Amino acid sequence: MVYVSKVGMVKIGRHYEKSPRDLAFEAVREALADADIDSIDYLVVASSLTYMQSPQLDLAAYIGSSLGLPVKSALAVEAGENSGLAAIEVAVNLIRSHAAEKVLVIGVDKLTDYPSGPTYEMLEALYDTESDAIYRIGHAAPLAMLMRIYMEKYGIDRNTLAYWPAMMHAHAKENPYAMLRFAIKPEKVTTAMPIADPITLLDAYPLGDGAAAILLTSEDQVGDHLARIKEVAGAVGMPSIALRDDPLMLEHVAKLSNELNLSEEKVDVIELHDNFTIMGLLLLESLGLAPRGKAAELVAAGYFDVDGEGPLVNASGGLKARGHPIGATGVYMVAEVALQLAGKFPGVKRPGAEKGLAVGVNAHGSSTRIVVMESV
Amino acid sequence: MVLARWWRTRIPRYRLIGAQCKSCGRAHYPPRKACPYCGSTELEQVMLPRRGILESYTVVQSIPGDTRFQAPIIVGLVRLENGVRLVAELTDVQPEELKLGLEVEATMRRIREDGDNGTIMYGLKFRPILGKS
Repeated sequence: MVYVSKVGMVKIGRHYEKSPRDLAFEAVREALADADIDSIDYLVVASSLTYMQSPQLDLAAYIGSSLGLPVKSALAVEAGENSGLAAIEVAVNLIRSHAAEKVLVIGVDKLTDYPSGPTYEMLEALYDTESDAIYRIGHAAPLAMLMRIYMEKYGIDRNTLAYWPAMMHAHAKENPYAMLRFAIKPEKVTTAMPIADPITLLDAYPLGDGAAAILLTSEDQVGDHLARIKEVAGAVGMPSIALRDDPLMLEHVAKLSNELNLSEEKVDVIELHDNFTIMGLLLLESLGLAPRGKAAELVAAGYFDVDGEGPLVNASGGLKARGHPIGATGVYMVAEVALQLAGKFPGVKRPGAEKGLAVGVNAHGSSTRIVVMESV
Repeated sequence: MVLARWWRTRIPRYRLIGAQCKSCGRAHYPPRKACPYCGSTELEQVMLPRRGILESYTVVQSIPGDTRFQAPIIVGLVRLENGVRLVAELTDVQPEELKLGLEVEATMRRIREDGDNGTIMYGLKFRPILGKS
């Protein structure tokens, strides 16, 4: 078994004065503040934009040598927006294969080192640069087109889709690590500035910097663990929405959900990937946690909220309002779910939560990963 | 955009060439080395129909790069007459003229420029078929 022992997070925001290394250092210091740790067997770093920006290669070693803690070996993992959960997957497998007992995972990315135009251009590379991203699709166009199809196919109006961002902001308001800590009314979403219609600014994740760190350990390591990682699994999807038979169904997510029996078992808390409103809804439906075409209405009715009947979704505020430092986000998700399962999340809580999920994808769904966690 | 990559992909992009799978019969664009549907590597390159309909679209305001003066950029999900879908930029159309089911056709256009003095990169965009909007 693999345990989440310690977690640390930096409040997501515009950290102009801090480098990726500075942010990583802060997250690790918070994670290990009260830990009795004198060395790390393995450091796994999740980052995506750093390679295009700094640029810095062998990133994990340079971060590892500046933590003030002996790190035996280090490597970096890149999987676009799915990098954070990819790093968790690698770390879990290092422990399961007995290659390491104490693995430190750091997720870090900066989105404010450049003006928004060049940043959107870097984010365009999350899509396939040999097909869709030949054109200037930016960071939102494929998801915007899915949103239009969703509204048309199921006859859902724009206002119904506005309850997702409203719920995310209500949650983020209570999360001290969130970037956008204020509530918004659903009607503000519809009338906000369009970024790729029907997606408005309030459907989209903000551009912010962040870092999160997690210490994963084997069962031989003593200490008070926050949660247990039961499963971690990934799947690769179609490279473009144009190649999906049904653009609104993420087949690889549905298949993975079936393999993990997710719709059969009771799940208490979920952190899932809502880079844009529509992706949050499509993931709930592809996972089998909402009937096709019904996720938006269930969200509007409060089904996934703290006192709703369903699992509590994105108590952190999600990518929408907690923020989304691309490669770091999955590490935040696992940290947040672990804190929920330990009853220690410093925000909206589901008391007595026993089972939680972190669900990530890249872009429109080029890849996905699901982490299944349990309370200890 | 890296020039070498752009050069390597030029022929399918100029001529709308896709790949048809000899195993499952399905076609896709741009051509890949293995069929995305069944995995077969028995593929043949085929000319795709240049006409299709708009299955979805978006008017992009968050323009990537430093080409903000070209805003908005209109992107569409086009279903060609043989059922093959692709994502492409639209041209010769105003945002208010866009609608689902709009009949469109491929046309050669400038897609990107590598700065003021660099290479100009061409490819196919889609425009409404005259008299069909």
